[in-house]
Amino acid sequence: MSSTQSLDLLFSFLSRSYATVETNFYKIPGSSVVARYVRSSHQNDPGRTLLEVILIVFAIRTLLQSRTRGDQSGKHFIKFDEKEIDDLVDEWTPEPLAQTLTPEEQADLASVPVIVGPTGPKPKLSSGKTVINLASYNFTGLAGNDAIKASAIDTLKKYGLGSCGPPGFYGTQDVHIQLEQDIADFLGTEAAILYSQAFSTISSVIPAFCKRGDIIVADRGVNFAIQKGLQISRCTVRWYDHNDMKSLEHVLESVEKECRKRKGPLTRRFIVTEGIFDHDGEMSDLPKLVELKKKFKYRLILDESISFGSVGRTGRGLTELYNVPASEVDMLVGSVANSLSSCGGFCAGSHIVVNHQRINGTSFVFSASMPPALTVAASEGINILRNTPSILTTLHENVRAVRAILDRVDCITIPSHPASAVIHLQVRWQTLQLPTPTSASPGKPSNPLSAKPRDPPQFNVEQEEKLLQDIVEEALAQGVLVTRAKCIRAQELNEVRPSIRLALTSALSRKDCEKAAGVVKAAFVKVVGKRR
Amino acid sequence: MPSRLSPIALNPASPGQSIFKKKSTPAMSTAASYLSAVSKADARARKQGATPASTPALSMSSSITSSSQDTVLDENTLDFTDGLSYPRVPPSSDQVFATVHSEFGHCANEQYRYTSQHPKGTPYKSIPEQEPPYYILLTTYISYILVICLGHLRDFVGKRFRAAQYRHLLPWKGYAALNSDFDSFYTRRLKLRIDDCFSHPTTGVPGRTIVLLDRYSSDYNKTMVPTGTRTRALNVSSYNYLGFAQSSGPCTDAVETSIEKYGVGAGGTRLEGGTLDLHVQTEALIARFLGMEDALVSSMGFATNSTIIPALVSKGCLVISDELNHASIRFGVRLSGANVRMFKHNDMKALEDLLREVISQGQPKTHRPWKKILLIVEGLYSMEGTMANLPVIMELKKKYKFYLFVDEAHSVGAIGPHGRGVTDYFGIDPRSVDILMGTFTKSFGAAGGYIAGNKAVVDRLRIQGHSGAYAEAMTPPVLTQIIASMASIMGITLPAEKPSSPSLALLRSSDFPPVISESELIPGTAPATALPSWMPLAPSMVDGSDGLMRLRRIAFNARYLNRGLRKLGFITYGTDDSPVVPLLIFHPGKMAVFSRLMRTYSTPIVVVVVGYPATPLVTSRVRFCLSSAHTKEDIDTVLRACDEIGDVLDLKQASGERWPVEEIISRALELVQMPEMP
Repeated sequence: MSSTQSLDLLFSFLSRSYATVETNFYKIPGSSVVARYVRSSHQNDPGRTLLEVILIVFAIRTLLQSRTRGDQSGKHFIKFDEKEIDDLVDEWTPEPLAQTLTPEEQADLASVPVIVGPTGPKPKLSSGKTVINLASYNFTGLAGNDAIKASAIDTLKKYGLGSCGPPGFYGTQDVHIQLEQDIADFLGTEAAILYSQAFSTISSVIPAFCKRGDIIVADRGVNFAIQKGLQISRCTVRWYDHNDMKSLEHVLESVEKECRKRKGPLTRRFIVTEGIFDHDGEMSDLPKLVELKKKFKYRLILDESISFGSVGRTGRGLTELYNVPASEVDMLVGSVANSLSSCGGFCAGSHIVVNHQRINGTSFVFSASMPPALTVAASEGINILRNTPSILTTLHENVRAVRAILDRVDCITIPSHPASAVIHLQVRWQTLQLPTPTSASPGKPSNPLSAKPRDPPQFNVEQEEKLLQDIVEEALAQGVLVTRAKCIRAQELNEVRPSIRLALTSALSRKDCEKAAGVVKAAFVKVVGKRR
Repeated sequence: MPSRLSPIALNPASPGQSIFKKKSTPAMSTAASYLSAVSKADARARKQGATPASTPALSMSSSITSSSQDTVLDENTLDFTDGLSYPRVPPSSDQVFATVHSEFGHCANEQYRYTSQHPKGTPYKSIPEQEPPYYILLTTYISYILVICLGHLRDFVGKRFRAAQYRHLLPWKGYAALNSDFDSFYTRRLKLRIDDCFSHPTTGVPGRTIVLLDRYSSDYNKTMVPTGTRTRALNVSSYNYLGFAQSSGPCTDAVETSIEKYGVGAGGTRLEGGTLDLHVQTEALIARFLGMEDALVSSMGFATNSTIIPALVSKGCLVISDELNHASIRFGVRLSGANVRMFKHNDMKALEDLLREVISQGQPKTHRPWKKILLIVEGLYSMEGTMANLPVIMELKKKYKFYLFVDEAHSVGAIGPHGRGVTDYFGIDPRSVDILMGTFTKSFGAAGGYIAGNKAVVDRLRIQGHSGAYAEAMTPPVLTQIIASMASIMGITLPAEKPSSPSLALLRSSDFPPVISESELIPGTAPATALPSWMPLAPSMVDGSDGLMRLRRIAFNARYLNRGLRKLGFITYGTDDSPVVPLLIFHPGKMAVFSRLMRTYSTPIVVVVVGYPATPLVTSRVRFCLSSAHTKEDIDTVLRACDEIGDVLDLKQASGERWPVEEIISRALELVQMPEMP
């Protein structure tokens, strides 16, 4: 009896709630239309109702399914029970976080010179020796400049040291705006933007503009920062032979053909290269680059990290040397650290280019701005460069003097441009030992899809590095500080030919430069000669 | 000037000099000269105490806060009432403040101090995230939809009638748009509307207060025109946790000496002739500070992550990353080529599940075991105010054998009883963490970042990390600021030939115990021999009292504001001890209004507002970054302003007990010291 009673109760409750739901449903505006639709469709074709219910269930399931689950539902997923997982966890032994250094690497690290006191043309090393410095970047000799020191101290006393915030959040100070303006004025562009580290500048500039699907045509010999920028941008990269304008033109034509065949929407296209190449000191032919980029409607991203402040009559870089207006280069990237002896990097260009980076330049947005004292130091550096053209004249004389001595040495190959203040010295093998490196054979061009050239030059890295290190140490013993050009071999796209990198400075007298060049030459002759 | 410029180690302090004299900070070359200076200072302080300074004007001139010192701001309209440039209550005669009030607030009350430390034996938990009422969420979505529709409408009309203005967004003369109208829609149509809240130019020290260069826009924020006027505002935005952004004081003096000696540049990369003795000293000091075997520095904080992570992991390795990790970590991981899996922010259950899955499954498709697994978490999340749940992670680490990388960009210096970051806060041996990364921009008032770990790892990174071979070395002024600020947190052991401890006891306030020497975990003080010999050492640096005061002040400020805001009824995220306090605003429009109202409050306050894409769409927020430089009165000001503005904008949506703002201010000590807030 109680069971029937409770059943009755349940039924009456159900019918009552059904009635409420029904009345409430019809209160919703437009509900009658839905009801009529469902009713009529069900009458006409009961199968359709089933189909639609299945569709709705499927749609809800798809919506609720997490999109990031990925692996769990993939066909490669293997189901384990908890016990098995525990066993697998116990079993797993990871590799060490970092391999301990090999004895060679240790020796390499130990051989890094430590300067005691200020850096400059003649610093003191930790060994107590005072040496002529052809290793540090100090093209314009601004390191240790008293006017710069004074203005830096002045700023320090007004601003403190750190800027304590990213540019977006109260880290933009008047001195930053000033330096950006100074750089833009100095180069003759509309605007410029400051990054707080030179190395991170171009690897942020490239991905700020180049997205997936865009096309970049890049030199095979670009520096590491550019390589990383290309990698992070995820766009289509085509390569041309190192500093070969014919190859560039060829690649541009092939890309043009490819695009026409595909008939996709118009994509952004960029040529990325360096003014003076970090790896070997070669110089780009800027007028030809500008001509090609205009002809094929590309934008030019030019890394002037080395050439800005070291070539041109007043140090304005490649654009000054070739008398090309800087506004022809769409994104001109340079280093404040190398030639203005401060820190940071910049990208100069039009207002649109610069403002775009203020939101999209990753390392601009997510990093604290430059310390104000260093910013003012760089402004002061530009000021000095403007007013003292003799700095660059001295630098260029020094370059000529050193080249005059080193150019004619049998056992040295210098790939660097005669005007470059960075001079790379490679070993030239006279006798067989190794085939002399040859550039790409004139026959077939390299494949633009691959970063590797068709005929990569052949050389024995370990042997040459060891030889060059001996030369560095020999020169150091004679009182000249030089360095091998260091790179992370495993991560470079192409094998970089080992070299000794001289960085000349205007702070040294011509006599000192000649003396240093003589020491380097003697060291080369001695060490290479011994090898033979 | 010249007497001040000479390295004091070579030129002993002249007899008439007092250590508290404005703008002269003698260094102690020997303990004897140090002792004599201490007794002189003591005598001077007593003498000052005898002459009561009753009028504000008098005390103003005796206080360090004189307008001649503030060279940036020509303070023609001296406003004593806003409490920014000058303390509202003038210092009493026996209080001697060595800092400029506008940079580092005068706060003598020893009660307004706290120690940032995790209570032992309790699990870590952050404030439970409260959901706002549905109408808030609904209206937030509606306002986004409204603005997006309006934006599209304007684009539609604009492209037809004002084509010239859209040219740079559309293909032109055979060039594709640099930034297509679709890609830039959010920036142009949403962000631009509130652009006056971002990238505000400033000048001077980003300390306790900051000077804004006023600007206005007559074309809806497309261009900003400087008006030429300046506004001093209370700064709760800069990453100045320990208040080392100062234009005077021991650290600045040290930097000044170093600029004179070293110049500003380091010249070249670390491996190619850019290494100075200062780099070696700094790295040794950092390792000592953190209690790690070795450390290396990199000249940019962002680049520390983006250039070092690729040297740690590669193809075949797995990076497990918290979903809210910083952009620099993602940048580095992307460059490394390693696989990445993310887990829900700070969800330890999700992390463990993920670990079990990835270890048992191995690499995708091939099912080969991972070469190594690197877990990357942040010590303190700068948008959330939450900390990594390190105690649980350490347990997981034992079981699952992954390597741990902790990004302490915001936590180092800012939290922990000794300022050593999250490991210090939780009482965990720092060496049980594989890699500690951090930056100097925030707590140390410098720039750049560091990586610390065991010697083998750090040496490998010196060679294999991108910054060693390619990036410019850190500059001498920055290195000096790091050494000086770090040494003043650590305290300095003077050479042992003379007993130095009795003299130190004189200076050390007896109100709180000297914590630094007690610690077993943290290897105490910096030996004077580890510092550059030319560096001037101030007494407050030597005994660590300056550093300890900073640590205790920021701990108090953080706890006070966190709890104060919650008692007012705001929804905040994070933990009570976090100096980053996010306050939820939800509406994109309210974000701008909040920022503007704060800026035009009777005491102007600058705040950072963050919305999508830095946060999820609906949880736009304002972020307060506290500092040791703030006084309790400054926090009161912020609370009052938030209370007023919160009422206007209907932001007080949290449930729980509420106190009126005046009650919070008067019961601040009670609020801070209660172990758990109900």
